[in-house]
Amino acid sequence: MPVERWRRAAVAGSLLLLVAGAARAEPAAETLALCTACHGPGGNATFPLTPSIAGQPKVFIENQLVLVREGLRDIPVMKDAMARLTDEQIVDLARYFAAQPFMPRPLAVQPERQRLGAELARKALCGTCHLSTFVGQQQVPRLAGQDEAYLMQAMRQFRDHAGPGRDTIMSASLYGLTDADLANLAHYLASYRVTP
Amino acid sequence: MSTRGILSRSGAMLVAVLAGCQSMTPPPAAAPAAAAPAWQQGRNPEQAGSPLAPHANKMTATPAAEVPVANLRLPPGFKAEVWASGIPGARAMARTENGKVYVGTRAIGRVYELTDSGTQRTSRVVVDKLNQPSGVAYANGSLYVMAIDKMLRYDGIANNPNAQPVDMTAAFNLPKEQHHNWKYIAFGPDGKLYVPFGAPCNICEPPPEYAQIRRYNADGSGMEVIARGVRNTQGFNWHPQTQELWFTDHGRDWMGDDGPADELNRMTKVGLNFGFPYCHAQGIADRDFPRAGACDGVTLPVQTMGPHAAVMGVHFYTGDMFPAEYKNALFVARKGSWNRTQKFGYDVVIVRTDGQGSNPLVRPFMTGFLDPINDSFSGRPTYFLQLPDGSLLISDEQLGAIYRVSYAR
Repeated sequence: MPVERWRRAAVAGSLLLLVAGAARAEPAAETLALCTACHGPGGNATFPLTPSIAGQPKVFIENQLVLVREGLRDIPVMKDAMARLTDEQIVDLARYFAAQPFMPRPLAVQPERQRLGAELARKALCGTCHLSTFVGQQQVPRLAGQDEAYLMQAMRQFRDHAGPGRDTIMSASLYGLTDADLANLAHYLASYRVTP
Repeated sequence: MSTRGILSRSGAMLVAVLAGCQSMTPPPAAAPAAAAPAWQQGRNPEQAGSPLAPHANKMTATPAAEVPVANLRLPPGFKAEVWASGIPGARAMARTENGKVYVGTRAIGRVYELTDSGTQRTSRVVVDKLNQPSGVAYANGSLYVMAIDKMLRYDGIANNPNAQPVDMTAAFNLPKEQHHNWKYIAFGPDGKLYVPFGAPCNICEPPPEYAQIRRYNADGSGMEVIARGVRNTQGFNWHPQTQELWFTDHGRDWMGDDGPADELNRMTKVGLNFGFPYCHAQGIADRDFPRAGACDGVTLPVQTMGPHAAVMGVHFYTGDMFPAEYKNALFVARKGSWNRTQKFGYDVVIVRTDGQGSNPLVRPFMTGFLDPINDSFSGRPTYFLQLPDGSLLISDEQLGAIYRVSYAR
C-alpha cells in the first residue's frame, strides 16, 4: 500500500476510534496465536474435541473466557494463557472471534441418527435458547456445524457434572438422556447447516 | 523482562498449548442417567418454538463512566450516584460495623469486599471459584458466604483481611439439586439464619427438601423448615414493628405473558404453605399439576408484583434521611422479566401498607433501566443495603455496580 494511502487510512481509523468513544483494540497477535493454535485460523478449529469459536455470540465468548480465567470451567490447556488476560482483553478477543466467519466442520452424515437427533432436539427444546437454526444468541453458543465429538463431550459434562460455570437450565434440559441420545443429538447438531 | 524474554515465554506457551489441544481425549463413558424428572420442561407444545430465554449476564467489568446513572428516574428530592462499580455480577450486600461491605455473585463465583474511604470505594475478591455464592450475611463479627453447595464462615474478617474460612457445609446438609438453589440468606431478629431451598425446576412436584424456607442456628444446628410451597424466594426482610418475615417469590414460567404474577408474602407463623406447585399468585391453579382444591389452606400473597417480574431483594426502610412516609415502607427490586413477550419490571418499586399488609399500594421508585420502545434494558436492580446515614444502596447485577440513593429537601 502506498504510504500516503496508508496514512490516510490510519487517520480515518483513528477518527473512527474517537467517534466510537471507546478503545476498541484488535487483540495482540501474540494472544491471537495462542487462541488459534487450538481453535484454528480465525477460530475455525480442525482438531477433534476442540470447539470452533468463529462466529460465536460475543457475550458467550466473553462469559466463557471469564469462567476459564476464574478457574470455574477447568480447561487445563487454556489456564496459563488466560490467567494474564484483563477484562478489556477478553472483550477484545470476544469481539474479534464473534466477527469471524464460521465454517462448519465436515462430517459424514448418517440420516437415521440425524432424524433421531432432530426428534430429541425438538423434545428438549434446544431451539428456544440456541434459536431454531442453532446459531446461538447472547450468552448461548452456536451449535450448528460444531465439532461432533466436542458437542458430545460438552453435553455429557452438563448432564453428569452440573457445577460451577455450568448453566443449571442446560443441565436440567439433559437430565435423563442416555449416551446414545446425546450422540444422536450431537450428530444432528454437528450436521446442521444454516442456509444463508 | 526483555522483549526477547516475553517472546520466548509466549513461544513456549504456544508449544505447550498446541501439544495440549492435539492430545485431548474424551472422558470415560458415564453410567446411564436416571429417567428424566418431571420438571424438565413445563411448556405447552404450542410454546415449543418460543424464542424467550433467560437474558445474558455480563461477566466483565463495566467502567463507572459507562454506567448510565443519568437515565435513572426517582421521586423529587432523591438522587442516585454510582457508589461502586467494576464488580461484575454484584447482588446481595452485607455490611460490618466498621463499614466493610461484602457482595455476593452468581455465575462469576466471587464474593467482593468493598472498603469505603468516604470519597471512593475500592474492591477486592475475598473468595472465588465458588458455585454461585450469592448468599452473604454478617453477624457477631463473622461473614457467612453461602454457595449452592458450600457454606463458609470468615471470623473477624472486617479487621483481618487474611481471615481463613471455616467450612460449615456439612452442618447445613445442602441437597444436591442446583437449579433455583442459589441463595439469599439473612439473620432474623431471632438470631437464626434464614435460608431458602428453591424448587429445582420451573414447575414440578419437588422432592421434600425443596420449595421451602428453613432457619438454622448460626452453626448449622437446629434446622427447622418454616415455610413450604415457596418456589424461589430471592429476598426477605423482617417488618420493623411486627418482626414478621416478608419475602418475595418468583412465579412459574410458561403460563403466558400475564402470569402467574410474582408474589410478596408475609409469614405470620411457622408452618404455612404458600402454594407451589398447585396454587400461584392470588389463587391461580396450576396448568400442569391440576388438583381439586389447589388453593385450599394456601396463604395467598399480600400483593402480587407483576408477571415474570423477577422480584429480588426487599427492604423495610427504617432510616431518617428519607421523608416520613417512607418509614417502614417496603422497597422491592424487580430484576425484570425474560419469559414474557414484552419486558416487564427492571425497576425498584415501593409498597406502602401496614404491618398486617392491608391495602397495599405499589408505586414506582427507581425507573429508567428499561427502554420500553426498543424493549431493551440497561441494568437490573437486585438488592438493598441501608447505610447508617439513611441513604440506600441498590445493587445492579447486570452492570456490576452499586448505586447510592440519597434524599435532600
